[in-house]
Amino acid sequence: MMNRTNKKNRIVDKMMVPRYIILSLGLILMITPMLYMFLSSLKDNDKTFIYPPVLFPSLSELSLKNYQYIFDNVTFFKYLGNTLFVAIMTVLIAIVVSSTLAYSFARLQIPGKKIVFGFLISVMLLPGLAMIIPQFELAARMKLINNIWGVILFYAAWVTPFSTFLLKGYIEDNVPKEMDESIFIDGGSIFSVYRYIVLPIASPAVAAISISNFLYPFEELGWSQQILKLDELRTLPVAITMFFQSHSRTDWGYVFAMTTLAMIPVILFYLLLQKYFITGMTSGAIKG
Amino acid sequence: MNAVMTKKKKKKIDWRNYVIFLPGFIFIFIFTFYPMAKMVVMSFFDWNIGFQQVSPFVGLKNYIDVLNDPIAKIAIVNTFAYAFVTVPLQMVIGLFVAVLINGIVKGSVGYRLGYYFPVISSWVVVALLFRYIFSNFGLLNYVLVDILHIANEPIGWLSSRWSSLFAAMLLGIWKGVGWNMVVFLAALQAVPKDQYEAADIDGANRVQKFFKITLPNIRGTLLFVIIMLSIGAFNTYTPITVLTGGNPAHQTEVVLTWMYFKTFNAYKMGYSAAFSVIVAIIIIVITVVMFSISKWRRGEE
Amino acid sequence: MFKKVLIIALFLFTSVVLIGCKDNNETLTLEFWHNYSASDGQVAVLETLIDEFEEDHEGVTIHPVYMEWQALKDSVTLGAQTGVLPDILRGDIAFVPQFQSLNVLLKVSDFDDYETAAAKVLTAPNSSNKMGNDYYGIASNTNTKILFYNKTLLQNAGVAVPTTLAEVWTAAQSLTTNGKIGYVEPWTGIWNVGPYIWSNGGDVLSPDNTTATGYINSSIVANVVTTLKNLYAAGALAGPSMDSGAVGDTDGWASSLYAMQLDGPWRGASNKSAGIEYDAIPLPAGTAGSVSVLGGENFMLFKTSATEKQQAAWEFVKFMTEKHAQVEMAKVGQMPVNLEALEDAEAIAAMPLLPVFAQALATAKARPVIPQWSEIENVIATKIALAITGAKDVQIALDECAAEINAILAD
Repeated sequence: MMNRTNKKNRIVDKMMVPRYIILSLGLILMITPMLYMFLSSLKDNDKTFIYPPVLFPSLSELSLKNYQYIFDNVTFFKYLGNTLFVAIMTVLIAIVVSSTLAYSFARLQIPGKKIVFGFLISVMLLPGLAMIIPQFELAARMKLINNIWGVILFYAAWVTPFSTFLLKGYIEDNVPKEMDESIFIDGGSIFSVYRYIVLPIASPAVAAISISNFLYPFEELGWSQQILKLDELRTLPVAITMFFQSHSRTDWGYVFAMTTLAMIPVILFYLLLQKYFITGMTSGAIKG
Repeated sequence: MNAVMTKKKKKKIDWRNYVIFLPGFIFIFIFTFYPMAKMVVMSFFDWNIGFQQVSPFVGLKNYIDVLNDPIAKIAIVNTFAYAFVTVPLQMVIGLFVAVLINGIVKGSVGYRLGYYFPVISSWVVVALLFRYIFSNFGLLNYVLVDILHIANEPIGWLSSRWSSLFAAMLLGIWKGVGWNMVVFLAALQAVPKDQYEAADIDGANRVQKFFKITLPNIRGTLLFVIIMLSIGAFNTYTPITVLTGGNPAHQTEVVLTWMYFKTFNAYKMGYSAAFSVIVAIIIIVITVVMFSISKWRRGEE
Repeated sequence: MFKKVLIIALFLFTSVVLIGCKDNNETLTLEFWHNYSASDGQVAVLETLIDEFEEDHEGVTIHPVYMEWQALKDSVTLGAQTGVLPDILRGDIAFVPQFQSLNVLLKVSDFDDYETAAAKVLTAPNSSNKMGNDYYGIASNTNTKILFYNKTLLQNAGVAVPTTLAEVWTAAQSLTTNGKIGYVEPWTGIWNVGPYIWSNGGDVLSPDNTTATGYINSSIVANVVTTLKNLYAAGALAGPSMDSGAVGDTDGWASSLYAMQLDGPWRGASNKSAGIEYDAIPLPAGTAGSVSVLGGENFMLFKTSATEKQQAAWEFVKFMTEKHAQVEMAKVGQMPVNLEALEDAEAIAAMPLLPVFAQALATAKARPVIPQWSEIENVIATKIALAITGAKDVQIALDECAAEINAILAD
């Protein structure tokens, strides 16, 4: 026993250095463009896309004045607040809807559920752009234009198929059948699914879908732009396009500064959940 | 006899099942199934979206228009090429990185975050950066021509169909590796450790362990990732719009960019709807074929 | 845990209810979608003008919403069916026929005083609102394209400022030295190649807009395209629609990469902010004179807004086309359409190139005002790009172009 552990450690150590070297080389490729984005956010507006390119900017070129401008002239925190609200609500609704649906598809006896599941999968496969027309009409009829819920409800609906798909597989593989009995102890409602299935057992999968669902409102532009026309309701991606000008010079410094700032909450959310995500995944596997 | 059986079966279903199922079902019915059905209906009409305008029924005309449109064909070919290149490469690199990170002791959080950065960055902004890198007088040519003197004159990376699609694919892979890494890392942690220990006793080497233990154990994750990435690849839009705008002469158009043009510039809503349906059918056929092949193979084994 | 979920659910519900209810004010709020540029200070001027207007018109509030060009167009398209539209819109003159095809624009010539208001603005720009015998908007500001050149690059290459269109092309050739590019044309639509065609006596469509045959595929157009093709082959002409790797015009100008471009007033503003030594002249004459392309923006009103809002919106639009507002906008780079503003000393002082533009405007030509124009111009841009890059024979490309346009016109 003792011998084997020692031997294993030796092998691990031998491979450790090449591992770090390869990972670090990859890391450079991954973050160089990000670094360029960050450096550009510290440069003058007209120094971003210059030809011939400048590989290493001089220190004197760099300043925080783009950030200063964002905080002084753009209601950045208003946009951030809107985006966070949309993100959190999208994550929560997606959890409620996709976990109950996933559980139903995985375990409950419901006539026609396979057909419904088939439809759900085809929603994922359809290139969605042409659907924007009936969806916008729906939003207008539901009086959801210039209403932040017009963005939240549709985002939640768009991420639901993916989330349901992932959760269904996870519940099938990892949730013991005995759990099915306990679900009706409380009278069997959406909340029971939560209490007995989603929160204790499927949590790593929930964390995984939540990470990408949280990112969605920080990325999505087209729908948000169409639904939220009032400045006080806008989300960050739309607010950033306000700097894009058709004819005039775009203020790249501001765009990059705002993009950099917009990444911070997403990074925090990722760090917060990923720990839980990894440990949860392991414990879930052991149980299964 | 049969009718009685069905009746009995139906009676057995607990009404409480519906309490759980219906709220979610109603939600997706309203927000996705209804618009999807409406879109399919649109595909049979010369759909006018003007104020108080009527839309004449045209049968299969939109479908015929799509099938006769050379640019739609280019768009479909480009989209599939994009998917066939980016999906496997993202997976291989992502899995490779995940295996490496899984094997290190210190600093794994730092690497995980670093590789995840591109995932959370804005598509528009990174696409602009890639444009800056690959344009005629961009960073890459600057390095090749003026610093390393490898090339005599700037290479037109974005000037022809395949080389600009290559740049778009590179962007897609670069931005997607981190997501793959996270998903595979989670799957790797779930592989039972005792299996590796047993293999150690048998004297298996790393490569053997990877193919005999790791891969079979993460089979479910692999399938999930393939599906997710393919869907993402078929919906690619921003990289193309920013890098080439479909130029030169629509040669780099993908499904969504062409659909966008037809919808918002040409006001051909019925055409776009029919285009969506056709692409979905192609994807469904491919998926079904792929599943059958893998099932058949497994059956043979 | 159960309680937490319940609380969240309750919170969700109440927020839906609260946000769902909107209070109705007694004031008339007009939604105004526009694409005035914020970085040029136009939005700030707009806000001041709105304040002035609101002071004079008790009970009317103007709510401005900025949208970038494409977003503005898409918003109207998507909102047409359900009437999710603004009360006033200020956008590209090319939007008028397209929005009219969506049946959303208000026929503003029905207002009693339309003629009086229209008489105060330039006739040519305002004609872009005319479909049939009716007007669906009024001119907001105008522009046309003039030939900008980088003074430093011309000096360095020892090239004189061209005086004829033919000289422009030879100058572009001679300016293409030391890694510089003589001429940039960001697109290959009629907005871009139209001036060269018209200045040589050609045209795109027949005068009644029924056919392209004999126009877009005429020998005049073929000659123009061949000239551009030769320039492109010599590396003296660049642009993203011909080569997506080309540096964008604004970035290229700012890096002193491009020497000449036929462009609008914004090029002056962007060059000034990038510190480029530049000047401009009207497009040097071809065989049939100097005919540039008419651009600019119009104000449009919508038939979907309530009658009292339409009336108030009309008042605002008239206010914006009068001398005061036009001079203020001229100070931030918007070329006036108001006849008095055009001669105003303050406006001229703010826009040194105003006389050059005025000269070019006198002969500038509008693109056809038909709903299918956006689709047609795209066909032209594609085919001409194919011809210029040598992917297709010039005459074959133009013949195909004519056939496709005719199909669109017949549809």
